[in-house]
Amino acid sequence: MAVDPTEPDARMHAIRPLLRRWLRTPELLILALAVVVAVAASSAVGLFSDRVARAMEDQSGEAFGADAAIRSREPLSSAVLEQLAPLSLRRAELIQFPSVAFKGEQSSLASVKATDAAYPLRGQLRTAPEPFGPERVEANGPPSGEAWVDLRLWQDLQLSLGDTLELGRGRFRVTRILSYEPDRGGGFTDLAPRMMVALEDIRESGLVGPGSRVQYKLLLSGARDQIEILKGIQWPPGVRFETAQEGRREIGGALDRARQFLDIAVLSAMLLAGAAIAASAHQHGQRLRDEAAIYKVLGATSRQIAQRSLLRLLGLALGAGLVGMLIGGLAQGVVAQAAQGLTQTALPPAQPLAALWSLALALLLVFGFAAPAFLTARHTPPVRVFQRTAPVGGSRLAAGVAALAAALLVGWHTGDAQLAGIVLAGTAAATLALGVLSWALVRSRAALRRRGGTALRFGLANIARRRWASVGQSVALGLALLALLLVGVVRSDLLGAWENRLPDDAPNQFLINIQTDQVAPLEAFFDARGVGGARLWPMTRARLVELRGEPVDADSFDDPEARRWVNREFNISWVDRFGDDNRLMRGQWWPADTRGEPWLSVDETAVERLDLELGDTLTLQIADRRLEVRVYNIRKVSWDSFRPNFFLVVPPGLIEDSAVQWLTSFHLRPDQRPLLRELIREFPNITALDLDAAIAQVRTILDRVVGAVEFLFLFTLAAGLTVLLAAIEGTRADRVRETALLRALGASNRTIHLGLLAEYAALGLVAGLVAALAAQVLGASLAERVFELPYRFSLTLWASGALGGAALVSALGWLSLQRSLRTPPRRVLAASG
Amino acid sequence: MQDIRWAVRAQSITHEVSSGDKRLTILDDVSLDIGQGESLAIVGRSGSGKTTLLSMLAGLDRPTRGRVELAGSDLGALDEDARARLRAGRVGFVFQSFQLLAGFTALENAQLGADLAGHRDAAERARTALAQVGLSARAGHHPYQLSGGEQQRVAIARAFAAGPTILFADEPTGNLDSATGAEIVELLFQLNRERGATLVLVTHDAELAARCNRMLSLSEGRLG
Repeated sequence: MAVDPTEPDARMHAIRPLLRRWLRTPELLILALAVVVAVAASSAVGLFSDRVARAMEDQSGEAFGADAAIRSREPLSSAVLEQLAPLSLRRAELIQFPSVAFKGEQSSLASVKATDAAYPLRGQLRTAPEPFGPERVEANGPPSGEAWVDLRLWQDLQLSLGDTLELGRGRFRVTRILSYEPDRGGGFTDLAPRMMVALEDIRESGLVGPGSRVQYKLLLSGARDQIEILKGIQWPPGVRFETAQEGRREIGGALDRARQFLDIAVLSAMLLAGAAIAASAHQHGQRLRDEAAIYKVLGATSRQIAQRSLLRLLGLALGAGLVGMLIGGLAQGVVAQAAQGLTQTALPPAQPLAALWSLALALLLVFGFAAPAFLTARHTPPVRVFQRTAPVGGSRLAAGVAALAAALLVGWHTGDAQLAGIVLAGTAAATLALGVLSWALVRSRAALRRRGGTALRFGLANIARRRWASVGQSVALGLALLALLLVGVVRSDLLGAWENRLPDDAPNQFLINIQTDQVAPLEAFFDARGVGGARLWPMTRARLVELRGEPVDADSFDDPEARRWVNREFNISWVDRFGDDNRLMRGQWWPADTRGEPWLSVDETAVERLDLELGDTLTLQIADRRLEVRVYNIRKVSWDSFRPNFFLVVPPGLIEDSAVQWLTSFHLRPDQRPLLRELIREFPNITALDLDAAIAQVRTILDRVVGAVEFLFLFTLAAGLTVLLAAIEGTRADRVRETALLRALGASNRTIHLGLLAEYAALGLVAGLVAALAAQVLGASLAERVFELPYRFSLTLWASGALGGAALVSALGWLSLQRSLRTPPRRVLAASG
Repeated sequence: MQDIRWAVRAQSITHEVSSGDKRLTILDDVSLDIGQGESLAIVGRSGSGKTTLLSMLAGLDRPTRGRVELAGSDLGALDEDARARLRAGRVGFVFQSFQLLAGFTALENAQLGADLAGHRDAAERARTALAQVGLSARAGHHPYQLSGGEQQRVAIARAFAAGPTILFADEPTGNLDSATGAEIVELLFQLNRERGATLVLVTHDAELAARCNRMLSLSEGRLG
């Protein structure tokens, strides 16, 4: 009976034998496995990062109380409000100012926050009836006539519920303790004890008027496109626009770093998969040439053979790509589990579209690395059926181009070309070094073959006799070992260094508003109580008036951030030496004894904003005097060090006579916390900011990310193992033949096995040594250029690379070739007909 | 008592293999003695069991039943490794498809058997053997750079270098033209004549078979 090939059953009949044949072809299985691993790693990271990014947007909105805010020192003008009118945004208004709250005769400086009925737009307010009491979520701020206070004010004034607080002409009944405000943190007015009241009451209190130090804030919330429109508006001087993301610099930094670690896992998995694919494809190409010769004898054209090869590749890429995406989808669930707590809110569900990139990667990997070897089969002369010719190499240029394209694809996808460049250049350099060293080993065969027993001589002679095959195998093994060692370096050294960046004694308290005459007493206060390491930083306010001799104002710049900079006063400090959280990018540090030189040290961010170069002159207005300074050096500040830092810094002896405030940060153990109350009592004008919560959040992110990265490196390991397998598999057919022949000629089991071990141990040793060197160079390069972390070279890595490489490669070779080594000698006759 | 006048003795060897549910008899109660220095041709049609008999006689495989003695040792009492040790240096092979190692030069291939036999002067022996087969000039070439006849001459040099007492040849001229085949045959008989090595040939070629001291015909696993 004729079978309609379009019937599903008939199609299955056609597919099954094809699948069966593929499953019996080890090199195709390894090729598919490599694609699966690369795609799984890439889609897992893609999906997971997308979920985290969306969660962070939501979360930063909640931590900000809104999606965006407009701050100003004056009530917003009607012109500004008119610009907002056409947008569909929810609004909440609030004002903040420092004031003194009285309870009878007792008083305390308080940061007053007055909110309208719409506050908060995002996140929740939580209050409790007593210190550390059960919390309740509040839909809005306090009603008229009531005040909610935080624990600090509660303690300072020894309040009870129902007590009356006086603020200006207003009287407020204390009804709740404020335990959580979504938008607390950041600005200086947020640091003092909090007192929250209704906005309408403040308007009547007489506290807010011309000259008072009030910050007006209009919170906005709405769809993303509406917020995007806001970003494009040019705000008038004195008005500052900020989105939720910009307000969370330290968290964003940690997440960016996390993403870089995840990207390394994907990049290395991808490059390794490429190597495994190329090796397997090269091997399969030899098989295809035999097939192609027979097809040609039977009348097939080169074009038909090429089409067949391409279709096979397409099927392989899509099939393995889809399996990889499925595994990636499952894996991102595991990563999300490992990273639980990374974001305060639950992660939004995965968007499968975010993994489509990975399918493109599968196509690029397969067509880039495998197509050259597959397609050269079409040139096979039909005469090959009579006489096998010398093996033909694949197109190395095409594979190189594919490697570059794949790296660029990942680099573009991750948005970090530098990281992609370092990994790619490192791999290329390692490949070259591996090639040269392996060649040296091969060339040294004469010396090696004169030593040791028959087995050792035989194994080493094998390396020498295989020549380029040995070099290729050694390079592949070295790349796989490099990946394994790099995982080790990243795991133990880089992740460790990153975690250590935030040591247990990281500063967790900030003090601001310190007056010059309080510096010495404050230092004495710290000394007397054994609090060390608190360095005091002076600070004054300056405004930029001229750049490179030309007067500047907001209109001189297109960049909205730069406009904002020029519009307002910024903090400037002076130091004789910089801390280790400042890294010199250009120019040089000034000598520690420099005094009065008109030099300026600028952070990278400011350099980008104002488009500065070394030697540029800036004229700063500091109070009533003008000061011209020259850019002396450019530095990069690690803002997540939780230590005071400044965009602009000058040497001592230049601006000390200006109105100066000081600030400091230091570490306070939990048991030392009462000291804070003592400090505030002794220096009542000083404001303390407790950073413990922010540090805890960053630390949680670090811990979670390390877990997620470790899991993802399993994919890199898997990719490394596929390369090892591909390299070993590449010699299987030869080994089967050779083993049979050697046995026929009288070689014992021991000779054959020891020969194999000697061969692989020597290859593993060389590959391991070069891989250790490459892993360290890459590690150091990543630490220096990408992660900005300290890095130390380790001898242990060399030893573990060389010995571990020899052991691992021998063991894998032994295990995977066991069956081949059992080939009976009669096969040598069967093969001959 | 072992009789060392015989290079190979086979007594009632039968070999069966499974094919699905069926048992196929490849060799059926074959007995033969091959004297030292003798040249013997085994002839028969394709599928008659010639190659299987050769592999049993050389100890590459073991029969299902029966006894084979090689160089005075009962192969049935030896494991794979012991059989390999027995072959090393004593037994040489020449195959239809040459069986040279692809990554090895002609010299390295020729040296292989002598190496495995533990000859310290393996390289020197290989050079001499290559000279004997007229391939000194091609010592550094790889198999793919050699013609079929040259490859087979390297295979014979491999056998010469190890100095075997018995040489098994499986269709040694099967892949060669008649002129080249004749040269190869000459070399095989040279080894037999000059060194007294026993020569056991499996062939379709009646002319070649006729040059041997003795000819055995195999048909459906039985000696005719």
